[in-house]
Amino acid sequence: MLLNPSARDPAARSRLIAALTVPVVLWPLFRAAEVEPGALFDPDNLKVIGHFLAAFLPPESGAEFLGYLARATLETLAIATAGMVLAFLLAVPLAYLATGAGREQPTLNPLTRSLLTVLRGIPELVWALLFVRVFGLGPAAGVLALGLTYGGMLAKVYAEILESVDAAPARVLRHNGAGRPLAMLYGLLPLASKELASYTVYRWECAIRASVVMGFVGAGGLGQLMDQAMKMLNGGEAATILLTFMLLVFSADGLSGWLRRSLDRPPANRPSPFGGRSAFFGLALLAGAVASFKYRDIDLASLWRLEAVNSIGTFVADFFPPDLSADWLDKVARGVWETLAISVVGTLLAAVAGMLLALPRRWMPFTVLLNTLRSVPELVWATMTVLAVGLGPFAGALALALHTAGVLGRLYAEALANAPPAAGCALRLAGAPGSPAFCYGTLPGAAPQLVAYTLYRWEMNIRMAAILGFVGAGGLGQLLYVELSLFHQARASTVIVAMLLLSIAVDQASAWLRRKMH
Amino acid sequence: MAFRLNGVGLAYANGFDALKGITLQAAQGERIALIGPSGAGKTSLLSVLGTAWAPTVGTAEILDAGDRPRSAAALARLRARIGTIHQSPPIPGRQRAVTAVLAGRLGRWPAWKSLASLIYPLDIPGAGAALDRVDLADKLFARCDQLSGGQLQRVGIARVLYQQPDLILADEPVSALDPALALATIRLLIADAEARGATLVASLHAVDLAIGNFSRIVGVKAGRIAFDLPAGEVGIPLLHELYAGEGGELPVQAHEPHFLSQAAANDAATRAACC
Ligand SMILES: Nc1ncnc2c1ncn2[C@@H]1O[C@H](COP(=O)(O)OP(=O)(O)OP(=O)(O)O)[C@@H](O)[C@H]1O
Ligand SMILES: [Mg+2]
Repeated sequence: MLLNPSARDPAARSRLIAALTVPVVLWPLFRAAEVEPGALFDPDNLKVIGHFLAAFLPPESGAEFLGYLARATLETLAIATAGMVLAFLLAVPLAYLATGAGREQPTLNPLTRSLLTVLRGIPELVWALLFVRVFGLGPAAGVLALGLTYGGMLAKVYAEILESVDAAPARVLRHNGAGRPLAMLYGLLPLASKELASYTVYRWECAIRASVVMGFVGAGGLGQLMDQAMKMLNGGEAATILLTFMLLVFSADGLSGWLRRSLDRPPANRPSPFGGRSAFFGLALLAGAVASFKYRDIDLASLWRLEAVNSIGTFVADFFPPDLSADWLDKVARGVWETLAISVVGTLLAAVAGMLLALPRRWMPFTVLLNTLRSVPELVWATMTVLAVGLGPFAGALALALHTAGVLGRLYAEALANAPPAAGCALRLAGAPGSPAFCYGTLPGAAPQLVAYTLYRWEMNIRMAAILGFVGAGGLGQLLYVELSLFHQARASTVIVAMLLLSIAVDQASAWLRRKMH
Repeated sequence: MAFRLNGVGLAYANGFDALKGITLQAAQGERIALIGPSGAGKTSLLSVLGTAWAPTVGTAEILDAGDRPRSAAALARLRARIGTIHQSPPIPGRQRAVTAVLAGRLGRWPAWKSLASLIYPLDIPGAGAALDRVDLADKLFARCDQLSGGQLQRVGIARVLYQQPDLILADEPVSALDPALALATIRLLIADAEARGATLVASLHAVDLAIGNFSRIVGVKAGRIAFDLPAGEVGIPLLHELYAGEGGELPVQAHEPHFLSQAAANDAATRAACC
């Protein structure tokens, strides 16, 4: 076939259209997020943040403060562990009900699935804020909040993992007369157990970060100390607390890495696959869980006394019906738009920064930087960005970007390291310089993974963006916080429904985009 | 001189000696076939020629760059003049054929051109012509994960044709092609090398393809050179000795009787199979 010399790239048209639509879509979002890099260099802001940062040195190390800090750290660990136990107990039956695995007829399970969506769709901090109103200040609210949200997340992912492994072994067992639970235990769990355990450990790591911020709504732990330190602009205390965060997150990271690696070891050659190490680990887990529930006043049983149930009843009843008056809806709609803008801008900034940090990751300072960014939760970043650029959505977007850049940078670096190396090597052997060889050889192999990570992160960030307003960083959180403080439950209820719908919509959009990328 | 290997040995990181005492040289424009059983060291030898591995023992002078170029820039300039066709084409599945072919010139293009070309391919006619030579002009804008194994291998060949290197290293360039197409493709590579005065070193599994088309045959066995002879002097006993331990059959492309005598008579049968 002879080539038409004037051949044009047939993809050019759609690329041009994409290149034109992306700015058209992003521009209003950047406007809504009030992105204003100049604010970073505003002299007034510089003075505030400069004074604050200057006070970081030396970090506070008075004996009294360290005593508070130790107690708050223990409380944080207890909230995370107790919350995870609750989440796990909730997730196992829910996952069993929701998953299509091990069923002979496909089912939809609309009830369980929508319950999971509601549990996951409302951020844990919103649950915590609500529970604090009912049960009073203290760690119990944090534990319940973590338990519900993480229970929903664990159940959804467990259900998906069980559906993703080879279904044939379980099907054969069922045809041979085994019931569904036994068929799943013998036919599915052996295939899925490693991934299930690995995800659970990973979630526990996240739970520690989440319980750190519970204190911002009065649900105990390190966050409460941080909130106080920030309100007093006490840089020395803030520095010590931040260092403690990092220490906690790094140790959780190390422990979870070690646990996941030990899942990879083949079982020993003896009748029971569980040996001394597993027994020790099981006991430690049990002891940790019991100690966590016993710790201070995480007394969930007392929640079910009659007067508590009554007060829950009246509190919940106040939320219905949601306030649907036109001017309130208008305000909420603007909050939704701002929240969406914060999540998109924050994620995009993080993707760019994460990529820049991932490329030279082999160098020591970048690893430390990535881990530092990652170990500080978004909400804590937000308390500092509002000092740097003032109250409003830009502070929220920056806070999201800072934390997410750490997370994405690490994921990107892993994806690039795992991309098939042959294509890039071949180009370098043909004399291609580093960056073209990377763009033509390595990047196409890693791109689907990079895009998927970014979109998953966006799904998380929309939930985060919804609560950054608790510390004044814009979005729906601000509305919710104010209305709940004023006991306007009906208005708050509208905001919560909006958060839920927004997170569902973003999940759908992200799934659609991921499908488009293939 | 195209290359001169002097007492070259190559030990991999695990300590395995893949090449031992290889001394081999070629004039510019020569066309050499490497044959030998699986694991003999053909790919390893081609990697040394392609500067992927520096010899652990001995010296390797490639093109006119001398032994070991002094700087990274000099090495990159040398590598831009070497084109390698890999045993399995190292092309990302999501890349389009046009981009995969244009990637052959990354070593010579300025960075801005390489990057701009990712947005809009800057030499569509050039890539199209290269793909046309391997009969794939209609796949110019197809994604590589939608090509068959043989088509993908031909995209890899088109990339090297587009690169126009002074030294072409082909590692089993036709392993995924049917006999007729394999022969046509080998001839295409030879014709391209001949027209541009480039040197061609190709490793081949099929001895009939090697002997029928290349003037010089190098047999490799257990990391050493077993023989280095003009094609006409490679006889059946020599080949049986080279492939001893692979079951007594000689690996060939076209299962025709007496292929060797035909090969020596410049291969009329296979030529017929081609057209
Ligand atoms: N990266 C490596 N590390 C260690 N040993 C290797 C490596 N690559 C190849 N080898 C070994 O070196 C020897 C020669 O390998 P080479 O790939 O050069 O063989 P070959 O002749 O190309 O074989 P084939 O015809 O199967 O492609 C083999 O025994 C192989 O196992
Ligand atoms: Mg080989």
